[in-house]
Amino acid sequence: MQTTLRFDSLLVHGGLEPGPAGATSVPIVQSSSFAYETAEALEDVFRGRAVGQVYTRLGNPTTEALERRLALLEGGGAAIATASGMAAITTTVMTIIRAGDEILASSSLFGGTFSLFRDTLSNFGVTVRFIDPLDLEGFRSAINEQTRLLFVETVGNPKLDVPDIPLLAEIAHQAGLPLIVDATVTTPCLATGASLGADIVVHSTSKYINGAGTSIGGVIIDRGVFDWNSQKFPHFEQFYKKYRAFAFTARARKLVHKDVGACAAPFNSFLLTEGIQTLALRMERHCSNALALARILKRHPKVAWVNYPGLEDSPQHTIAGKLYGGRYGGLLTFGTGEKASAFKVINGLRLAKNLANIGDAKTLVIHPASTICADYNAEEKALMGVTEDLIRVSLGIEDCRDIIEDFEKALDSV
Amino acid sequence: MKITINGKETALAENPARTVESLLDELDVAQRQYISVELNGEILERDAFGNTPVQSGDILEFLYFMGGGR
Ligand SMILES: Cc1ncc(COP(=O)(O)O)c(C=O)c1O
Repeated sequence: MQTTLRFDSLLVHGGLEPGPAGATSVPIVQSSSFAYETAEALEDVFRGRAVGQVYTRLGNPTTEALERRLALLEGGGAAIATASGMAAITTTVMTIIRAGDEILASSSLFGGTFSLFRDTLSNFGVTVRFIDPLDLEGFRSAINEQTRLLFVETVGNPKLDVPDIPLLAEIAHQAGLPLIVDATVTTPCLATGASLGADIVVHSTSKYINGAGTSIGGVIIDRGVFDWNSQKFPHFEQFYKKYRAFAFTARARKLVHKDVGACAAPFNSFLLTEGIQTLALRMERHCSNALALARILKRHPKVAWVNYPGLEDSPQHTIAGKLYGGRYGGLLTFGTGEKASAFKVINGLRLAKNLANIGDAKTLVIHPASTICADYNAEEKALMGVTEDLIRVSLGIEDCRDIIEDFEKALDSV
Repeated sequence: MKITINGKETALAENPARTVESLLDELDVAQRQYISVELNGEILERDAFGNTPVQSGDILEFLYFMGGGR
């Protein structure tokens, strides 16, 4: 029955199995390992002859309930929940690439992903080329014999650029390459991996999917649509032979995810199965609050500029409207012309919290240039769209009148 | 006829049309997409499930990758 439910119902019921004593929330199975009556039974599970839990690094009933739901929400496939969004991205990329390979990535990535690609992976013989995700021809022409995957965010954080993911998917597929999409900012609510044409979707579930800022998590969803039977991926051969469409998930589960060990904690998986139930309701409010604040800031005399794809004059408005069903997300950025006044605004806010996160029920702000992007040079900051006066706002789900009053008062101090 | 599935001898009704695919249906094997099949010690290509007949004496392994920690 689950696969026939509509999206908002899947958020609540997807993957849910009857719990002990009729429990309707997902039981927290807080156990590191799982005992078997006989040596034969445990041998069967290790060999794969029987399905069963062994050890929470490899799998856990609470985490599996979350994985079932997230896979259904993306339009089908297999999911692996991880300890963080970065763990999901690292595991995904390490499952696909080997030393000598190249990645083509968007140049306006979240800073942690940028650092993974630029600094960490380069120590393992992997080259990452960063391309403006709006430059489709740039992506097409940068593909070479060594390229093994394309990686983009649905909405760049904090640049808020909106690439045409279906066209990027086409470019990737014409070259026999998978497109990996980080959909943290849009969530499966605004668009599913299936509707975007992504082969593998990753999320930091720490953000909107959790919704309350209570834990860190990530997920990899393999839509089971990419053809891994290719000379580009000889290391997938055995997995392809056995599992065909799910060769990626099999390779991740049997090797990289198991060996890296960045597994989801059962309690965090429980928090996510609770939080995700209200995702659709929250996303509506995040989006409407963002639009309301963007319009107010746009007219404000002390605001130099506002970037929100939902504003009609945003260059991203048309494509964002088309891909995300007329909803434009809960993030906006604005500037007051200089760093000093940006700090004044942040210091003047009472309701909005100054912290490094997005996607909370509470409204959040940060000055990226001095914090999450402080390690990057001027050229890199420019690529990420980070200026010295930029304030990023992650709209919460409060009454939008309170949010607007908070920003108006803070701007008065400038 | 008798075959061996995951180490257990199993008696099946005679059915000359039986393939690996139809056997998976017959046994109602769950989470089919995550299973690999070994037939008489060899990995069976997924595309071959539908046209590989199951014969008396065959030794089959249906192996999940979800559980075990190898
Ligand atoms: C778009 C995006 N991807 C990935 C991440 C990393 O997620 P986590 O902090 O859960 O590791 C973040 C976190 O800020 C993010 O905003």
